[in-house]
Amino acid sequence: MSKLFKFVSFMLLAMLFLTACNGGSDDSAAADDEENGEDPETTTETIGDGEIELVFWEFGNTGYDRLIEEYVEENPNITINLQNSDMNDVHDNLFTSVSAGSGAPDIAMVEEAQIERYRNAEDAFNNLYDLGAESVVDNYLDWVFQNGESADGDFLFGLPTDIGPTVMFYRTDVFEEAGFDSSPEAVSELIETWEDYEAVAREINDETGKLMTDAGELVFNARRDQATQQYFDEDDELIIDEHPQIREAYDYVANLFEDELVGDIPLWTPEWFAGMEEGTYATMLAPAWMQGQIKDNSPEEGIWSITTMPEGAGNWGGSYLTVPEESEHPEEAYAFIEWLTAPEQQLEAFLGYGLFPSSPQVYEMPEFMDYEDDYFGGIATAQVFSEAAQQVIPVYKGRLYYPVDEELKQAIDNMSAGDDPDDEWEAALQRIEGILRR
Amino acid sequence: MEATKKNSWLTENRRSAIAAYLFISPFFILFAIFGLFPMLFSFYLSFFRWDGLDPMTFNGLDNFRFIFSDPIFYSSIQNTFIIGLLGTLPQIVVSLLIAFALNSSLIRFRNTFRTLIFLPYITSIVAVAIIFGLVFNNQPFGFANYILSLFDGGPIRWAAEYWPVKFAIATMVFWRWVGYNTIIFLAGMQSIPRELYEAAKIDGASIGQQLRLITLPMLKRIVMFVVFTATIGSLQLFTEPLIFLGRGLREEGITVVAYLWRDAFVYNTFGTASAAAIVLFVIIITLTAINLALSNLIGRSKRRVS
Repeated sequence: MSKLFKFVSFMLLAMLFLTACNGGSDDSAAADDEENGEDPETTTETIGDGEIELVFWEFGNTGYDRLIEEYVEENPNITINLQNSDMNDVHDNLFTSVSAGSGAPDIAMVEEAQIERYRNAEDAFNNLYDLGAESVVDNYLDWVFQNGESADGDFLFGLPTDIGPTVMFYRTDVFEEAGFDSSPEAVSELIETWEDYEAVAREINDETGKLMTDAGELVFNARRDQATQQYFDEDDELIIDEHPQIREAYDYVANLFEDELVGDIPLWTPEWFAGMEEGTYATMLAPAWMQGQIKDNSPEEGIWSITTMPEGAGNWGGSYLTVPEESEHPEEAYAFIEWLTAPEQQLEAFLGYGLFPSSPQVYEMPEFMDYEDDYFGGIATAQVFSEAAQQVIPVYKGRLYYPVDEELKQAIDNMSAGDDPDDEWEAALQRIEGILRR
Repeated sequence: MEATKKNSWLTENRRSAIAAYLFISPFFILFAIFGLFPMLFSFYLSFFRWDGLDPMTFNGLDNFRFIFSDPIFYSSIQNTFIIGLLGTLPQIVVSLLIAFALNSSLIRFRNTFRTLIFLPYITSIVAVAIIFGLVFNNQPFGFANYILSLFDGGPIRWAAEYWPVKFAIATMVFWRWVGYNTIIFLAGMQSIPRELYEAAKIDGASIGQQLRLITLPMLKRIVMFVVFTATIGSLQLFTEPLIFLGRGLREEGITVVAYLWRDAFVYNTFGTASAAAIVLFVIIITLTAINLALSNLIGRSKRRVS
């Protein structure tokens, strides 16, 4: 009898370890946001058997392993050791290695807003201009490429992989239930401004009892990403108080909460992912890279669709590939990232995992323009995204972008529970000032 | 001549002393590299302003001035103590009772239970985060809120309100460490001679009396050890608040170590992080001294009795 129990407890243990190993694999997409700091898992994959091994730190669901297989086939002297971790872990570990001067990989993926953290560490990275990046400048959108440069433009930290133009994902079934035409054109026309968005939210709520979105945070993010100036100006001065756009975004969300038109489920939680399939809300305002998450969590085709965001698109996320100074094979590492971010490969990354290309040449490719996604009701998703991408105005984010964002999210969370928006705004500003005074 | 001189210096005693030092040296070498150096360096850092990349600049006591003017730092100290008390006191009592039960001959499948009680300790922290995230969920469909709703209790925002946050984190601490302490108590109990219990039984002692009059006095040293490690462990509490609250680490649940971690690795202000570490160091030293004094007192009174 006790043998049986030992066996059962052993199986329980084995299961626990297995869940532990799987924990990291279904992490969020290319520009995953906060809240995943708890995930210590790293998956390592060694591809190829060449003499030169390049260690590559990445985060999110990039699908790069398949592209790397292609690359090592053409370059048999290269082996690539692909290590995927949580987004925050990759940046924290890279920061520690850069600060300590050892431990950095040959290639590190850096998120768009986080690149500011490394700006002062030019000597810890290879200047990609020295390695030949001059010849590929025209491959990328200007504003994306410039964000990878130093202020004077002499130093290039990284080559851009993808960008995150924001769109409105919506559920056709909820729109139909509320009596609306659910085609992308009709919805785009129906919701042209944020006032329309609120009005439609009210109508959907009256007709069906459903919410406009389950995470009010996303509405804030959407308006934040449309703002021409966000938290800091180019001199790293905090401008959220004198500059009205962020406050307007905040008040807009406060208003939606007050009328109970949006939910307060935190992003990246299991319940948030599960909600994508439930059909309890109508829209999700999110960047291109979110489509992988939606497809994974709500597998049924033809339910979700995509249209333009009210009042134009913003950009949320996107990444760069850098070559730390420590790399023993900077030329090989550079050759690889130049290949990986070339238009042909960016096209494949889009078709595979929805990473929206940072290379405008891809936008002209017939495979890209004609790509119709059956999942989203057979619409040409690439065109919706490229329309959004062309509206993006580059914004300076600053080194403390995420900490400031985190404090505002806390304020939003508190007011979703009924706290006074003005008090919470003041409290968040005070906390932010505390961070800046350090 | 030379040889004999050398030999006369390398006496038998010296030789074994050198051997002994060599044998214990790995610990001291590792401690110097991974323990002492970082400690001294953070003392040094606490007087500088450093973002991890640029050169450090000396700023005297500014870091200390900052953290002592930061209300969140005081909250973090308060939280650490409240969560520590909520998490460890019941835990020690409960693990003592569980250990007593597992040690008694009344229970079947003892080995199975011993394995099961230890499971939480080795469970992946990711799994813990997910489970507790669902149990203590802010939404009405969270498990704890569902149970409350059966008793007409309104939904509680477990991850945001003052006491619920502390209660939730303390529960995680309790759940994760109760098995560990049980095993330590159990090991201590197994070294208590069975004859004592048998004699007590013959004298008609109840189970409660056995626990109070035999087990507890014989376990004094083990209890002291557990209280000691649990105190230090709860002052260094970090993983649970981080996985429960995320990187935002709300003021309601942030602990001192979480505070200094956030300063160092989220805000990249290593100076204030080091200053907070020094304050924590002083708190731990003080509590350890009190602990030691108390245990000396208990030890002496015991000798006087015998």
